[in-house]
Amino acid sequence: MKRKRGRPSTTSGVINLPLETKSQDKAKADQLRSVAEGRLKLYEPGSDNSRRFLDLLSRKINRSLATSMVACVHCGLCADSCHYALAKPDDPTMTPVYKADQIRRIFKRHMDWAGRIVPWWVHAQYPADDEDLNRLKNIVFGMCSACRRCTYSCPMGVDTALLVRFARGLLTELGIVPEGVFNVSRDQWETGNQMAVTEEDYLETLEWMRQEVEDELGVPVRIPVDEKDCDFLYTINPREIKFDPRSIANAAKIFHFAGERWTLPRWGWDQTNFGLFSGDDNLGAYVAKNVYEAAVRLRAKRIVISECGHGYRSTRWEGYNWADYDQRIPTESVILTLKRYIEEGRIRVDPSKNGEPVTFHDSCNVARSGGLIEEPRWVLQRVCMDFREMYPNRTDNYCCTGGGGLLSMAEYRPLRLEVAKIKADQLRATGARLVCTMCHNCIDGLTDVIKHYKLDMGIVQVMDLVERALIT
Amino acid sequence: MSGFLRILENEVQLVALLFLVFVYLFRLVWLFKFRSRKERTFPVGKEGRGIARSLMNVAMPWAMESTRKNPGFYVQFVIFHIGVAAAIAASFIIPYWPSLLEIKAVVRLFQVAIAGGLIVGLLRLYRRIAQPRIRLISTPDDYLSLIFMILFFAAAVLAVPNEFKTAEWPLILFFGLTAFLLIFVPFSKISHYLYYPFGRFFFGRTLGHRGISPAKKLSKGKAE
Repeated sequence: MKRKRGRPSTTSGVINLPLETKSQDKAKADQLRSVAEGRLKLYEPGSDNSRRFLDLLSRKINRSLATSMVACVHCGLCADSCHYALAKPDDPTMTPVYKADQIRRIFKRHMDWAGRIVPWWVHAQYPADDEDLNRLKNIVFGMCSACRRCTYSCPMGVDTALLVRFARGLLTELGIVPEGVFNVSRDQWETGNQMAVTEEDYLETLEWMRQEVEDELGVPVRIPVDEKDCDFLYTINPREIKFDPRSIANAAKIFHFAGERWTLPRWGWDQTNFGLFSGDDNLGAYVAKNVYEAAVRLRAKRIVISECGHGYRSTRWEGYNWADYDQRIPTESVILTLKRYIEEGRIRVDPSKNGEPVTFHDSCNVARSGGLIEEPRWVLQRVCMDFREMYPNRTDNYCCTGGGGLLSMAEYRPLRLEVAKIKADQLRATGARLVCTMCHNCIDGLTDVIKHYKLDMGIVQVMDLVERALIT
Repeated sequence: MSGFLRILENEVQLVALLFLVFVYLFRLVWLFKFRSRKERTFPVGKEGRGIARSLMNVAMPWAMESTRKNPGFYVQFVIFHIGVAAAIAASFIIPYWPSLLEIKAVVRLFQVAIAGGLIVGLLRLYRRIAQPRIRLISTPDDYLSLIFMILFFAAAVLAVPNEFKTAEWPLILFFGLTAFLLIFVPFSKISHYLYYPFGRFFFGRTLGHRGISPAKKLSKGKAE
């Protein structure tokens, strides 16, 4: 696509990446159920997408979003908090305020009085065509990981990450999304989990892991599925089934030693939620409700969420609101469960089994948007000999750079890795041999950073370290 | 004092102020027309404490990385807004409590406070023009609002001595600009103070509810 006059150039080239629709065409040809039912939206080049975008904006905006639209004073302080802007200081399009302004200018033209009457006064502008919407897509999907770090640095309380998610949601309704976002959304709509894991694969993997733990311990071990009246319903990330089943084995082993009554559900086990990344509240509600209803169906006393950043945020916090579903039972991260086991003496741990220096990466969705900040540290300090903080940390920590669904969007990878320099420098400065995080997304994001910047580090999750430290 | 200046200091200001209040009420109605979401999750912290802390953020430069990293920017913010408060106060004191300005020290104090705002305004204008990333996001509203504030400060510095017997023009300039700004402000970025409580409220409510800020205590064994 051609660059229009008066638009700033960028060094990244990301802004002008075209819209790819191969997967959408295939979904249409395959007559997928989610497409036929109108849940998974496809791009319609012939329709008036700019008008549809404005209609959606009017319909979906709420008061807190409207406040973030009008409250920005263009002070630019947010630039110092964004890893994109910090890593590319010469590119003025990398600042959070610039990115937010791309949706803000449409809102102002459409809904705000100054922008409607004298648009030039506030640079208010309608999207002229699909090219403009595609450009917006590249900004909100490709140039921001929605880590919310800038929100914490805004004196006015402008929630730029929320604006970015809102814009993503409007574009998702029009099918103007990166291929990766479409594919994962499709899988989650079609199969109930974002990696299209079949029930057969799911149950086979659980059985495989059960056997592994049993062989290791030499005693009968269970990984219960669909058992009623358990103390908790355990929900996992499909990545655990597909790529990291050892984390399920670790959980089973720890729950076994803790004497826990737990179960996984046959349906509604995926706690991840691509609706958070695509901005699609309908998808968010559907996936979250699967989990909540599984807990009701099995009469579980609690929902426990395995280590996953966006899964935790979606299932614990946002999902109930997306689904208009009042929370009825406690819903917690497995980190709280582990903490409770250690506190109550249900498992015993020996920190000397984890002698190497370990640092902790706060997942954005867990810390800044989830509030789990001290709990993982409490656990790590009891299972590691040499725990050291990275700086900045807690709610000031930097994104792994793979957040916001960016790992699924290959076209933005070069930019993502370029701006990951900030994270790489932060990791290197700790001198740690292991970086621990409680998020599968961060595992993949940090793996990329470590490989790209040739850092001498490994990655683990809290559960891995607890399992290693177990006194059996 | 001429009749023109007397009317400008009194009736014109009141009308302009009423206009501002009316437009702001209209604006608040507009904002409240947007739907509000209902929170459906169990809280971990207290929303009220989160909101209070968020609203107090303006007085806690240590609370945000942006102000920790840019202490000079925060000092400028304080000086600028003290200047604004002093200039606004002057627009009421001159017509309604002129005796206060017969005290030379008070006049000097006001002039120093307002001049501080003026200097910061000029620095901010330079920053907006000189820094590419700020220039890119700047609109005519950003530039002109700042320029009008700089002019307002300059006029206020000259008007505060309230020496209408010597020359009325500084007072006419100041009150003319004040009336203009009262009408202009609701349509400009200067209105940000109207939105500040809302922005901080919504953000603080979320952080408070989720136990992020103020940070929740690490409670023993409690499920969420």
